[in-house]
Amino acid sequence: MRVVHYLNQFFGGRGGEEAADMAPHIQDGAVGPGRLLEQVFGNDAHIVHTIIAGDNYAAENLEMLTELVVKQVKAAHAELFVAGPCFEAGRYGLVAGALCKAVQSALGIPVVTGMAGENPGVDLYRQELYIVDSGASVSAMRDVLSKMGRIATKLAHHQDIGRPTDEGYIPRGMLHDEFVEQTAAERMVQMLVAKTAGGPFESEFTPPAFAAVPAPAPVADLSKARVVIVTDGGLVPKGNPDNISPYAATNWGAYDISALDDLQGENYEVSHRGYDTRYVEQDPDRLVPVDALRDLEKAGIVGKVHDRFISTSGLANPLANSRRLGHEIAEKLKQEGVDAVILTST
Amino acid sequence: MRLTLAYHTVSDVRFGDTTQLDGTILMVDQEALRQYLLADRRLERVDFHVVRPGDSCRFGVVFDILEPRAKAPGAGPDFPGILGPIETAGQGTTHVLKGSAVTVLDEGAPVASGKIVDMSGAAGVACPYASLSHLVVVPHLVQDVERHTALHALRLASVRASVYLAGAAVGQEAGTTEVFDTQGPAVARRDGVPRIAYIGQIHSRQRVAEVDEQILYGANTEGMLPVLLHPNEWLDGALVTSYSSRGVETYFYQNHPIISELHRWHRDGKITLVGTVATMAASDNDDRARNCMLAAQQAKWLLAADGAILTKYGGGAPHADMALTARLCEQLGIRTTVQVEDMSRDRRAESALLFNYAEVDAMVHVGGNDTRWSVPAVERAIAGNPEAAATLGASQQLEASRLCGVTNQQGASRLRSFVY
Amino acid sequence: MQVTSVLPVAKMVGSNRVVQGGGIVHVFGDPDLPPEEEKKLRQTILLQAFEALKKQADAS
Repeated sequence: MRVVHYLNQFFGGRGGEEAADMAPHIQDGAVGPGRLLEQVFGNDAHIVHTIIAGDNYAAENLEMLTELVVKQVKAAHAELFVAGPCFEAGRYGLVAGALCKAVQSALGIPVVTGMAGENPGVDLYRQELYIVDSGASVSAMRDVLSKMGRIATKLAHHQDIGRPTDEGYIPRGMLHDEFVEQTAAERMVQMLVAKTAGGPFESEFTPPAFAAVPAPAPVADLSKARVVIVTDGGLVPKGNPDNISPYAATNWGAYDISALDDLQGENYEVSHRGYDTRYVEQDPDRLVPVDALRDLEKAGIVGKVHDRFISTSGLANPLANSRRLGHEIAEKLKQEGVDAVILTST
Repeated sequence: MRLTLAYHTVSDVRFGDTTQLDGTILMVDQEALRQYLLADRRLERVDFHVVRPGDSCRFGVVFDILEPRAKAPGAGPDFPGILGPIETAGQGTTHVLKGSAVTVLDEGAPVASGKIVDMSGAAGVACPYASLSHLVVVPHLVQDVERHTALHALRLASVRASVYLAGAAVGQEAGTTEVFDTQGPAVARRDGVPRIAYIGQIHSRQRVAEVDEQILYGANTEGMLPVLLHPNEWLDGALVTSYSSRGVETYFYQNHPIISELHRWHRDGKITLVGTVATMAASDNDDRARNCMLAAQQAKWLLAADGAILTKYGGGAPHADMALTARLCEQLGIRTTVQVEDMSRDRRAESALLFNYAEVDAMVHVGGNDTRWSVPAVERAIAGNPEAAATLGASQQLEASRLCGVTNQQGASRLRSFVY
Repeated sequence: MQVTSVLPVAKMVGSNRVVQGGGIVHVFGDPDLPPEEEKKLRQTILLQAFEALKKQADAS
């Protein structure tokens, strides 16, 4: 199997943080951990090229780097792309994830990487990639590479990938049913008795943890505040100019209301499939209350209504996506001097 | 309270001149049964079919499946509140035709999406009802009967047919017996033996119960608050499913997987089964807050439970009631385990759950959205009318949630959802 | 702050300031009311939202 391997400056042997701005360098054959990976594969695979780039360069020039890597992988007729493993290195993990995703999508060849659970690349890419759980310690390198190798081989042979605990990857978050020996009743009683005794038990499901977001301080003086309306109800101008998807939306739009006292149904539509949109289509103020907000602005209760309202669709939107959208919107609004947000959610 | 189930094995069901149990063959006088059921003037006619394990046969839409059982003389009424006077269920001897089932079909329900049984093939392997000998009962209602009246007629037919058949076993020597004999919460606490309760929803108010719908001792549960029941009452006719019976059949009240399993552990001396609470999923936030609070309080102050198993009834929203009840139990010091099913559209784990409480951390997950079979055409399909039967009998994609007993809400499911 | 109808979900994901809206499909409205009344309802909900903005966030 022909393999192309991506490494950052550190694992590529080019130096530490001082080499983080290193531009991409393509080298024939394996470098550093790549040599270990070839050993792990035995005769089954060999690394044709290694691409090394600095973490900062990569993070700041991701689009260019991605294009370069995809081109290189294609030109090398590679049958497998490996990135990292990245352990806890956050910039490295984000880049490795992005590169793997791009190669997988553009070329349809197997890709694999490895990261520690807390690496930000995990949250963003785990649903699309097999990310071996490397833990934080680089001393586990050989073991991590073995697992990456095993998964890569299975992918290349179109074999089913087993459970996360068996194969060593970070759960991708997809539910998969299997018939088991015990009935749900038997499993429940067993689990409960263990839990009641204070003993260890393994829940069949653990819901995602939602990290607490510290609440900003209260608005000191609303009569001087700039207030914006953000909605996840999918209200967009007729024609949906930004092509906001009705579900799993990956973008958001900002729509001018600076000259408006009221939203008219004929000028808008709703891109959302999760609720009965009739009432909002009749009168969009029912979702984005521009009319009432203007009145309160005129009455001096609110300082200023922001020039635009922000909209996206919240339906069936993976958490990683929603988090990104939220960050982007918040950053933009902060830049525009907004003091408070009213988020209207269907 | 002591209940003895007298098991009479049934290996086959056949039509015959009289209704009797001949060894392990259940003979059914279908004319006599027909006349008995037609005493309900709302029924115009009734068809009967015998379906055996392994038959290339599919039937639906299932209204309910019951195990034929009849109380021994002096042991109390069958289905108190529906067939008989209201007296405590769960005591004395009840005769059971083990290995058989009465399945009543609902001609008024759309066959494309309704619950069915498949007796063979890959779906049959997964279906716990496929190993039973069924008397399939297809009542046909007179014209212009209101839907709730029709459903009541089906309910009446189902309990009548079950008791009628089991009458063949009364007076006969049982093959084996099983005794259910727990003393309730007044039993002294024993060191190292946890006191366990079961809190089960018996209806979801997502749908308002019909005025004449009979669920608990014949009551329709409207306005009801959570109530303590002895475990035997679930097993012995106090309860039947409500009309929205997605994922539940009366068969698995009679053979309640959780209550049966808790009994096993109780008999082995590993737990004390202290009792059960029957509750319902609410229709509004206040109803939910009230019912969940009262159910948890009963488990704590009346049952003195150390642990509780919880199940929900109905669709997705009842998970919230179950989870809130579990959370309140945990806050009162009762450890809990809940059973959940997959409510996601996209099978993503993060979309799959409708609640998220740190304390409710012991879950059994029966999945459901990921399992389906490509089933072939069958030789025989039984439904309320020929068109429905044709649709049912054709080759098709069958979702696990449509097959009775697979994504069962009462604990019978052997499905488990893994996060990959 | 957030205006929505299904408060438990908002609280579950960690929304700090949440106010009840007029209905899932019309967060700031009620189609059963005449238009003037509906607009007043919108104002009322907005004013409640403003109250939440002016206060310390709920600890729960």
